[in-house]
Amino acid sequence: MGVRDEQKAATREKVLVAARDLFNDVGYEETTIRAIAERAGVSVGSVFTTFASKAEVLSHVMTHRLDELYAEFDRVIPVLRGSTTDRLCSIFAIHYAFETRRVKLFLAHIAASYNPSNEAGVTPYGRNPRLSQMLVDVLAEGVRKGEVRADLDLNLLVDTLKAAYAWNYRMAAAAGGDLPAAEMSAAMDRQIAVIAEGWKPR
Amino acid sequence: MSFVSVNIEQGAETPVKLTRRALAKQRTRERVLAAARRLFSERGYEGATIRDIAQAAGMSTGAVFASFADKSELFEEILTADYEVIYAQMTQAARTAKTVDEALLGLFGVAYSFHVEQLPLLRASISVSWTRSEAAERRARNDLKHIFKLIGVALQRAVDEGQLKKDIDAKLLAEIVWDVYVANYRRAVYDGWSVEALLARLSDQLKVIFAGARA
Repeated sequence: MGVRDEQKAATREKVLVAARDLFNDVGYEETTIRAIAERAGVSVGSVFTTFASKAEVLSHVMTHRLDELYAEFDRVIPVLRGSTTDRLCSIFAIHYAFETRRVKLFLAHIAASYNPSNEAGVTPYGRNPRLSQMLVDVLAEGVRKGEVRADLDLNLLVDTLKAAYAWNYRMAAAAGGDLPAAEMSAAMDRQIAVIAEGWKPR
Repeated sequence: MSFVSVNIEQGAETPVKLTRRALAKQRTRERVLAAARRLFSERGYEGATIRDIAQAAGMSTGAVFASFADKSELFEEILTADYEVIYAQMTQAARTAKTVDEALLGLFGVAYSFHVEQLPLLRASISVSWTRSEAAERRARNDLKHIFKLIGVALQRAVDEGQLKKDIDAKLLAEIVWDVYVANYRRAVYDGWSVEALLARLSDQLKVIFAGARA
């Protein structure tokens, strides 16, 4: 990496950290690119040479955060115990616990992802290939262990589970962002149990 | 778990003879609503200010505030009007269906057909639903009960007719059905899915959701 690239990466990192804190503490709509630049200690121009828009900054903040989470998952997944259902419940519970640490940030990300006026570079809410893969792997393991029927479309099961997972955050939105992660996990556990009833071998 | 507001039971308004003043007021409201619908679709909820809307409607911001208390009231009125248009059709579609799957595909099919035609406004309404005020949230949740009632009726009929087991948790099933219905809009927004594609996916998801509940 050349000096220029290193500088660019450092600026990027500073911008993402400043934006993450401001979006969560002050609010996404309320935060300007200027405020992000000031907090990061960089020029407004250098923010714009790295990101096309505020919406894109938010998308990058979210993927950046998920990198941390999935690094942790790489450690956790091999030691997850219990049935297929238990493991799925654990994976979602960890996600809820992680995202509710900065719930306003997360809700802003969802809102921005649906905003009709948003610019290019925005990650759609719900498109999360690493989570999908993790869930497919757990279900495939369940098939091998005889806990999940072998004739099912696992991607379709994952799609349905993820929809329930994603929209349970509406509980947090409805509570004005102030909701313990455990309440969402509990709702998710019940939803998983209902869907699991259908994939049991009979 | 709502992203739209419905306000169906407003009660029948008694027909009154409109005075010239009332007519003028009515026309002003309609002009504001038309302009607001366009701007919310183009710029999203946050991006469209009352000032912009007033300008697009060719009037002062004061005139807009004479008809609507604030931007959120204006936005909700647009969504409510839309839901009043499709609610009767959704009810009808659910009522004439033979199975629970058909009933749900019928009623959500009406909604998909309607919203896919005006995706930008739908996006704005979903977007707002994640960050709106507590008062707006309460109104929307209260209003969404109508849709959940439709789902509940379809599930109950399926139990009565022996399609679904007697001991199902209908509330929980309705929640999951709603979740997949709404989550599928992402495919329309970002992947350009047609109404047919959305319904095909929903049909598969319903099979997954009901697999353990079939009698």
